[in-house]
Amino acid sequence: MSQEFEPKIVGFLCNWCSYSGADMAGTARIQYAPNVHIIRVMCSGRVDPSFVLKAFREGADGVLVAGCHPGDCHYTAGNYKTLRRMPLLAKMLEQFGIEPGRFRLEWVSAAEGARWARVVNEMTATVQKLGPLNWKNHVRHT
Amino acid sequence: MAIAALKRFVADHVAPAAFIPPKPRGEKVAVVGAGPAGLSAAYHLARNGYDVTVFDALSIPGGMMAVGIPDYRLPRKVLQEEIEYIKRMGVDIVPNTVVGKNITLEEIFQRGYKAIFLGIGAHRSHKLGVPGEELSGVLQGVSFLRDFNLGKKVEVGRRVAVIGGGNTAVDAARTALRLGAEQVTIVYRRSREEMPVNKWEVEEAEKEGIAIRFLAAPTWILGTDRVTGLECIGMELGEPDQSGRRRPIPIPGSSFTLEADTVIAAIGQAPDLTVLGKAVKATGWGTIEADPETCATAQPGVFAGGDAVTGAATVIDAVAAGKRAAESIHRYLQGQDLREGRAFDVPKELIAHKELSEDMEYVPRQEVPTLPITERRSNFREVELGLSEEMARREAERCLDCAACAECLQCEAACGPKAIRHQMKEEYVELEVGAIILATGHEFYKPQGLPQYHYGRFPNIIDSMEFERMCNAAGPTGGEILLADGRKPESVAFIHCVGCRDAHSNTYCSRLCCMHAMKQAHLVKEKTGADVYELYIDIRAGGKGYEEFYERVQREGVIFIRGRGAEVIPVDNRLVVKAEDTGLGRPIILPVDLVVLVTGMVARADTAEVAKTFHVTRDKDGFFLEAHPKLRPFHTNTDGIFLAGTCQGPKDIPDTVAHANAAAAEALVLLGRGRVTIEPIIAEIDPDVCAGCKVCVELCAYSAIEFDAERKISQVNGALCKGCGVCVAACPSGAAQAKHFNDVQIMAEIEGVLA
Repeated sequence: MSQEFEPKIVGFLCNWCSYSGADMAGTARIQYAPNVHIIRVMCSGRVDPSFVLKAFREGADGVLVAGCHPGDCHYTAGNYKTLRRMPLLAKMLEQFGIEPGRFRLEWVSAAEGARWARVVNEMTATVQKLGPLNWKNHVRHT
Repeated sequence: MAIAALKRFVADHVAPAAFIPPKPRGEKVAVVGAGPAGLSAAYHLARNGYDVTVFDALSIPGGMMAVGIPDYRLPRKVLQEEIEYIKRMGVDIVPNTVVGKNITLEEIFQRGYKAIFLGIGAHRSHKLGVPGEELSGVLQGVSFLRDFNLGKKVEVGRRVAVIGGGNTAVDAARTALRLGAEQVTIVYRRSREEMPVNKWEVEEAEKEGIAIRFLAAPTWILGTDRVTGLECIGMELGEPDQSGRRRPIPIPGSSFTLEADTVIAAIGQAPDLTVLGKAVKATGWGTIEADPETCATAQPGVFAGGDAVTGAATVIDAVAAGKRAAESIHRYLQGQDLREGRAFDVPKELIAHKELSEDMEYVPRQEVPTLPITERRSNFREVELGLSEEMARREAERCLDCAACAECLQCEAACGPKAIRHQMKEEYVELEVGAIILATGHEFYKPQGLPQYHYGRFPNIIDSMEFERMCNAAGPTGGEILLADGRKPESVAFIHCVGCRDAHSNTYCSRLCCMHAMKQAHLVKEKTGADVYELYIDIRAGGKGYEEFYERVQREGVIFIRGRGAEVIPVDNRLVVKAEDTGLGRPIILPVDLVVLVTGMVARADTAEVAKTFHVTRDKDGFFLEAHPKLRPFHTNTDGIFLAGTCQGPKDIPDTVAHANAAAAEALVLLGRGRVTIEPIIAEIDPDVCAGCKVCVELCAYSAIEFDAERKISQVNGALCKGCGVCVAACPSGAAQAKHFNDVQIMAEIEGVLA
């Protein structure tokens, strides 16, 4: 794949930890890959697996879900639900033929601007290596 | 612990403090009786500024302490000293004055005395009530002891029988022995356990050779005009009586005769109320009727206490009554309530259980030395000799220190604004509040984490807080800067940034330590004149007046070396600091006497726990995280919870004050409004779509979803819902939706970002 390939990654970020963490990366003026398109949700527990499927269907090359560290959830236990749902979804995506590197669940706290940048850079590099997914054209919709 | 013996040791060895006379109040108070109760009342009244006169019936003051308790138990010299002390306070003691005979209570009032305390004691013996009591050779215990102590001629025969089981009986028996009696027998109608006398008195009496006939009562005193013997009857113990002791019952046919030429009756005593006549009301026991707590009698201004009220008891009881009466008289004269705010009983409290270490050695109690038996006859030298200093020390060392506070309550009495409440206990309080401010502060880095500084391993390597404590005038050295061996240091090195700006500990700057170290350097210069070296990375002196202080300290001769202190090593008696001087561009070594490690601020060890309790987040260094580093620096992401001070991050005092004031103002905004507007982001369930599967009910962390059993659907309580959307993601039918974050909106967003 050519070097010009810039993957499109959709990131679902919880409002309190990960979105604030991304904000922190900004206020700290940390440089990182611009490939993640952020969709803010109140809690990572709000992320319906269908959102992930929808993102892939709409042409995303990768999907990142990020929430508070276990135990730190602003809503006490929302991220525990995420922790149960997302691994199941990952299994299913693998069966659909989507490489494991394209879907990622991460914990990023509001203080972890640097970690957020690292996660984004890592994932961008991984997806870059995997190449475009182009699922829309591969899957026949019935 | 032998508390009494230790108390006595102190009383024997420490002179009473010089009496500082209080401001005289001018009011006169009369005390009747110069015994323990009366003298105690007089003492406390005099301390309070009253003009006290004590009227006493006897020729010498002291009451029972002078004429009842024998010399060998209470040396007269000690008693005299105590009475002299009270006299020096201005208390006037008038001897040979029987109130009721020489002067009446009315006359006392007429002479301008505003109140009277009756402490007349119990000097009248109960009669035996058996035939022969009028014979020569039959004596009353109290008058026998009194006559002897007043120097009158008393004679006892060869064989003495003493009847009774109280202190007076044993005192009379032991006195008789010392006066030359060959054989002394105590006759007591109950058994050893019921004897009211102090146990050790009985033991000493028996050691001295006094025989005791338990379970025997006199029935007849034999003789024609002089006593020749005592006929007694054997007793057995029946059911307990009113006093809780088993009642003695005579055994028929068990009579026996004791040979005796002197019989001393000491079976109980009561106050002599005959002279007072109708001036006081008597109880059925022949004692003065008075409130046992306030000592007040029915007649206003007349108070009573001690043996006169309780019947024969101990000196301590009488002294306590005198003290209580003094307070009551003071209140009476000041027109105050006699009871309000007073505690009459010493509050009892369980002492905290203390684990003793296994290897703790058992140390027996120190036995108080006594006069050898052979030296006791025919003299009245003190029997209990008291502890030596060495013994007192050994006894005091046995204290396990389980209750550090002796509960003397003096602190409570001394505190004017009544800020100390001894009875206070910890309690859990539930408060309904509209805002919470976390101001839990910080800790200092513990330099043990950096082994190159050898903190805690060698003396004279201390941290900045320990140095601060040493500089404090109330600290262990009284504010002097000293080395471990007590010398003054000649050179001191301050190593900056310990636990800060260092990848091995914390990477952040604690901000205030540079100024802190400079202040301490200034103190060293001021107090000792020692050479001071500051080993720094950078000097952070940003702030009003800070740079000026930096310059001032340099002018004072403090040497600033730019370079991190690398290691501290002890060499001989000194410490050597290795460092790099970046100005010179080469390593240096500094021999100094004292090294101060200037430690940085770190988050408290329990911040994680506190953060969980309040649903606030922490930053990478463990401090509480503010909602926004620039625009909301004292808010948290949890509404209504604010941060103040160093729990949010290192700050100096002015910054902490500003931060805290801002947090308080923000909290007041909430309180002033009185109501909160909640976010519109909440979940809702479409009742037409909900299938009533109850998946959402179980998931909700706030119990905001209830199942309506009638309509068979789940419903969201909007006031409880926090809007996380966990239920929405789980709803299989799509009935649950999050306002402003509904499926349609998010799907559109996904399409939008990927378009």
